[in-house]
Amino acid sequence: MIYKETGQYKSSYKSDHAIFPLLQDKIAFSTLMFIAFLIIPFVINSYWEKAILVPFLIFSLAAIGLNILTGYCGQVSLGTGGFMAVGAFSTYKIMTYFPDMNIMIIILISGLITAAVGIIFGLPSLRIKGFYLAVATLASQFFLVWLFNKVPWFYNYSDTGQITVSERTMFGVPVTGAEAPSYATYLFCLVLVVVLSFAAKNLIRSKMGRSWMAIRDMDIAAEIIGVPPLKTKLSAFAISSFYIGVAGALYFAVFLGAIEVTESFDIMTISFPVLFMIIIGGLGSMLGSFLGAAFVVTLPIGLKFLMVDMVGLSAVTAKHFEITIWGLLMIIFLIVEPHGLARLWSIAKEKLRRWPFPY
Amino acid sequence: MSLEDLKEIPYGKTAIELKNISLAFGGVKALTDVSFDVKKGEVFAIIGPNGAGKSSMLNVINGFYKPTSGTINFAGTDRNEMEPELAAKSGIARTFQNIALFKGMSTLDNLMTGRLLKQKQNFLMQALYFGPVAKEEEEHRERVERVIDFLDLQSIRRTPVGSLPYGLQKRVELGRALAMEPEILLLDEPMAGMNVEEKQDMSRFVLTVNNELKTTIVLIEHDMGVVMDISDRIVVLDYGKKIGSGLPKEIRNNKAVIDAYLGVSDD
Repeated sequence: MIYKETGQYKSSYKSDHAIFPLLQDKIAFSTLMFIAFLIIPFVINSYWEKAILVPFLIFSLAAIGLNILTGYCGQVSLGTGGFMAVGAFSTYKIMTYFPDMNIMIIILISGLITAAVGIIFGLPSLRIKGFYLAVATLASQFFLVWLFNKVPWFYNYSDTGQITVSERTMFGVPVTGAEAPSYATYLFCLVLVVVLSFAAKNLIRSKMGRSWMAIRDMDIAAEIIGVPPLKTKLSAFAISSFYIGVAGALYFAVFLGAIEVTESFDIMTISFPVLFMIIIGGLGSMLGSFLGAAFVVTLPIGLKFLMVDMVGLSAVTAKHFEITIWGLLMIIFLIVEPHGLARLWSIAKEKLRRWPFPY
Repeated sequence: MSLEDLKEIPYGKTAIELKNISLAFGGVKALTDVSFDVKKGEVFAIIGPNGAGKSSMLNVINGFYKPTSGTINFAGTDRNEMEPELAAKSGIARTFQNIALFKGMSTLDNLMTGRLLKQKQNFLMQALYFGPVAKEEEEHRERVERVIDFLDLQSIRRTPVGSLPYGLQKRVELGRALAMEPEILLLDEPMAGMNVEEKQDMSRFVLTVNNELKTTIVLIEHDMGVVMDISDRIVVLDYGKKIGSGLPKEIRNNKAVIDAYLGVSDD
């Protein structure tokens, strides 16, 4: 009864093609946007910003990127960390060479550079699939991190090998650097995430997305109906890398401020968690990218709260437990609901359609 | 060579001519010196026992296999081989013996993939999804809805095709090929594994497409009753060689064909 679609008729293909064809979805989405844009910026504090909201937004973006490649186009990638590092270092180098350039433009250019790198590392996908491709992308992860670690030009020959962001402003308010207020970094990420999410959703529901899914589901048949495998796979790599690159740029410039490549963009800190996000959230689902990112970002915080504050374990013990519980939850989750949180949500909608009546 | 070339050929004239096609995989000869032609607007059947090379023949026509020797004359141009993308662009669509649908996508999306070649907007426009892109999507949706109406697929429009029963999947696959608005439709055993009613439906669809859209149909089928009823001309393959061709009634009385199907007694 709550989620009732009867009576909502569509009289044109245009209204049927809308992103949120149902009234309930429209209301829910508008409410969410209202809270995100007009309430949270006024109540946000540094803890919420640094611990939850900004990492959630950044990882959502990375998850959308990986979901485009893996969930929609069916090409498994373990190179997310490497591509995020490309985004971060591009931002750093552009900032060095063009001190007056607007930060938004810098970040978008970093995304484009990552897209170009993504195309190069996507070339093996034309010959190999599945596990073999995963290993090939793993190579890109290690190569890129090694490159940024070993070639001093990338970190401007600094002694520590660290790269540090300088302060940049949007509309006179600093969004990067130590002085940036919480609401500014949050809004900056939010705007990028919302705009890019809509772009991704639009791509997925039009020609591009159908070509990707055709390649994913049956590449032979796709070729027969005129989908060029080479162009389609590389376009998925390019667009996916663009999103991941932008996420990497934000991760460095807005979120962390200073990074050391082997630590920040390691396979264990980025590549696998982002892959888990899309698996837990739901492969081939936009909503799943967000749910997965929210789950992976908030779970450690929730567990820490539970163990340290409620049970009273020491922080170190809690950290060890956290990793164990995290792994355990992952396994349970994959057994119980292999299609991810997005699927759980659609089952819930199915139930809400009838609730409280059984039929 | 293009879609226009194929459209310009008058009905009843040769659309594709295969000349002395041979195809070998290492030592295995799938096809040996096979020649036949398909006239525009006809229902042309390729029959033969299992392993005769029928599917290989279709794969040669739409460029999936490259023939070892021989030429393909397509819409007046001689070629040594076809390319799948070129075949799709010049109006050849096909269905597969083992259904090759996009299982994770809905029926509607599967049919929409048939329109991909006709959608021209670039990806930046798609990302913004305004004006021209939305209009293009609606235009193609309308075309696809006509196919949905024709094949009675309305009720499964939003169902992922992976969960549909076999007969319906076959129908959706025909729908995807029809959504391409092909000039030539290659059907690889469209009625395999169907019951009588489903075969009747499918035959009706094939004949309607042929009569009303004037689509040339090349068909592989094992059900002799269906083949004899709906085809205009037939070619018979056995062990990769052509053993007969002609009108259905000629094939019915062809000794070589009867021997291939029923076997030859030694005495």
